[in-house]
Amino acid sequence: MAEPAYTVASDSETAGEEKSSSPFPETAIGIDIGTSHCSVAVWNGSQVELLRNIRNQKMMRSYVTFKDENPSAGVSDQLSSEHDMLSGASIFNMKRLIGRVDTDPVVQSSKSLPFLVQTLGIGVRPLIAALVNNVWRSTTPEEVLAIFLVELKAMAEIQLKRPIKNVVLTIPASFSRFQLTRIERACAMASLHVLRLMPEPTAVALLYAQQISNQNVNTGSEKIALIFNMGAGYCDVAITATAGGVSQIKALAGSAIGGEDLLLSMMRHLLPDSETLLTSHGLDDIKSVGILRVATQEAIHTLSSQTSVQIDVDLGNGTKICKVVDREEFEEVNLAVFDKCASLISQCLHDAKVDTEDVSDVIVVGGCSYIPKIKSLVMSICKKEELYKGMKPLEAAVIGAALEGAVASGLSDPFGSLDLLTIQATPLALGIRADGNNFVPIIPRNTAMPAQKDLIFTTAHDNQTEALIIVYEGEGKKVEENHLLGYFKITGIPPSPKGVPEIRVILDIDASSVLRVLAGVLMPGSHQPINPVMGVRMPTVDDGHGWCAEALHRAYGSSLDLVTVQKKI
Amino acid sequence: MAVSVWAVSSISRFPVPKAFQVHENKKPIWRIRCKKEGAEEMATGKNYYELLGVSVDSNPKKIRQAYRKLQKKYHPDVAGQEGHEHTLKLNEAYKVLMRENLRKEYDASIGKVRVAGFRAGNTPSSSLGSSWNGPFRPQALFVDENACIGCRECVHHASSTFVFDDALGCARVKVQYGDDEQKIEVSVDSCPVNCIHWVEKEELPVLEFLIQPQPTEGYGIFGGGWERPANVFMAAKSYNKQQQRWHEEAENENNRRKSRATAEEETPAQAKAREDASRKINMEGFSRFWQWQNKPFWGKKGE
Repeated sequence: MAEPAYTVASDSETAGEEKSSSPFPETAIGIDIGTSHCSVAVWNGSQVELLRNIRNQKMMRSYVTFKDENPSAGVSDQLSSEHDMLSGASIFNMKRLIGRVDTDPVVQSSKSLPFLVQTLGIGVRPLIAALVNNVWRSTTPEEVLAIFLVELKAMAEIQLKRPIKNVVLTIPASFSRFQLTRIERACAMASLHVLRLMPEPTAVALLYAQQISNQNVNTGSEKIALIFNMGAGYCDVAITATAGGVSQIKALAGSAIGGEDLLLSMMRHLLPDSETLLTSHGLDDIKSVGILRVATQEAIHTLSSQTSVQIDVDLGNGTKICKVVDREEFEEVNLAVFDKCASLISQCLHDAKVDTEDVSDVIVVGGCSYIPKIKSLVMSICKKEELYKGMKPLEAAVIGAALEGAVASGLSDPFGSLDLLTIQATPLALGIRADGNNFVPIIPRNTAMPAQKDLIFTTAHDNQTEALIIVYEGEGKKVEENHLLGYFKITGIPPSPKGVPEIRVILDIDASSVLRVLAGVLMPGSHQPINPVMGVRMPTVDDGHGWCAEALHRAYGSSLDLVTVQKKI
Repeated sequence: MAVSVWAVSSISRFPVPKAFQVHENKKPIWRIRCKKEGAEEMATGKNYYELLGVSVDSNPKKIRQAYRKLQKKYHPDVAGQEGHEHTLKLNEAYKVLMRENLRKEYDASIGKVRVAGFRAGNTPSSSLGSSWNGPFRPQALFVDENACIGCRECVHHASSTFVFDDALGCARVKVQYGDDEQKIEVSVDSCPVNCIHWVEKEELPVLEFLIQPQPTEGYGIFGGGWERPANVFMAAKSYNKQQQRWHEEAENENNRRKSRATAEEETPAQAKAREDASRKINMEGFSRFWQWQNKPFWGKKGE
């Protein structure tokens, strides 16, 4: 499919311009694209308002149905029943699939979804297809997301009676930069300009900052809050220090676990040995799995309010499930998921160097916040008797995004409701490959953004005239454990013994999280680079990340290697 | 070497063709690092403390407040892309000053040392006041420079301990126990006005800080010039008292916050009025000290 004209995302340089030129700047809208539900909110001049679709829904199911030629998304589409979405014609869970390769465990677990996720396990993007008139019609997560965004955009434009261009999107904290570019790509396909991509818990932090500064006059005192956000696809934790409307993110942690994992493990629990059924994608099988999925989902929802639930379902293929499941059983089945949640919280507290006594408020939001085990788990780790009240669990993130949209669009409010700021932190470390196969971080995790750091490297061989800068993102010590973001070559290093030339690598992240890597060669005693400096916006790799690094290694071996010289903090 | 980073504000005033508004072009990122080679932050002529507008003695809380205030002004969310460069510096300054070890290193690199004892109160500072020869001892020497008549007797008897300040015309302690005890004893006894005192080690930093001449505020053509407390011991005592009261207040404030639920009913207006009043009282009593801490410190060391 020919992709629509691409509006070049302009570095938000335009945001500043619009501010000065027009007294009524366009307010960016906030969009929370959830794995299962989506919502849109906008600052209406005095407060944040959630937009409703024609069926008066604030939360819209995130899916796109392909029928004949015209796809339709969950914004306007009428879903007669949950089973419709599970017929194979609809693509959902885009957020779990976008920007992932087919070796990714999250993609592997998505193979039990009713639509087709075909993986070859070689580190390229998976094939995703919807069943249209008995034909598997291929598509991409970006395309699906773009179709969805177009509908959201149309809906917002009708209600706000103005064209929409700028948006603030919430994203999971664990998204790699490559995934962020995929989201930006989908937005560009929908002719939307991404003003900011906000990790979900930081959007919640901004809302918290507003609520705190509204309720106490004395804004001098600092409040530390732990935000736990778990939806269908992702679980994120953030620790924020808030004072005077400024929310400073001290630490972020996230992982691709969520309600979807609870659902899948529960389905496997209810129907053991169902692996072939789940992944077969025969027409009848899809239907059976759909029935099982809906029943399991309902059971999990019921377990949030009751201690046990009776599951009585006929899968239509001769299998009947008749079982009473109680909460303990559910919690036991999903022990791994809950353990992971706990470890994220502990890691975040550790990274932020915050003791549980210092935490004033614990905020639990997202779809999974209704699960009693999640609530009790967060409370017990934070040693709190109760959770922060005053936020709607499903709306907090989108409201925060709308606030950020208003703030970053340059709006101000006479009552000070927009006197807000989030100081974001980098969720993952950024660095390059050096000292063999090691990952040398240049910007560590949880550095305040915008950030700029540099590090000096040197050549690994005598008379080495070229060097490869391979940029990675992640926490692993070895490069293979991290996401490859891109690579480029520095040339024209004057022939000299190894260790003499200084290769300075600067990483620069601006407030909209755009990463630039600059690299240049200095000879001892000089402050000016010998050749023009290379400035590369990352990520540059498109697809099949792992391959590129391997291919580079095959082509060049260690001949273009770098080693570290000194470490600046 | 002083590398001038182009003043960001001056650029933004002129309309730059959009095509040239590329991040790298506008701001010479590459050059910024040069500051690390030599004098820190020569690019802007400001050190981290000046950048954040805080005194060298500021505690983390004050630094954090100042940082947030400035972020609200310069953060790219508020100021647009022009704020990028400045925010980077703020982030760097904040990171360094908030970490005790980095801050110490930085202090040393810019030649400014916090008056130890003001905050933690254990290690006497070396470069601001006197340094120590050998291990710390409970007693230290202190010259009341107000009383000193500039006879140079002490310097004559114990030249490694005392030093004569020609600019101010008085003697002061350079190195504690720089000479042997006998020499020191002779020099203390030799003082015709008995202005050399044995003081507790803990008192020393405050005394040495307070005895430094501080510029006084001028009103029109009146006033101005330099002055120091008439009785430095009294001044030190009251300073310590204030400091202690402050700590107690901070603690009370903490306790109050914790037990807010049980506190008596008070309307927000009343609470605000009370807080404003108490803050004002505090501020008045301290305005002089703050002034000292903020400005003259620089004037003196920076010359």
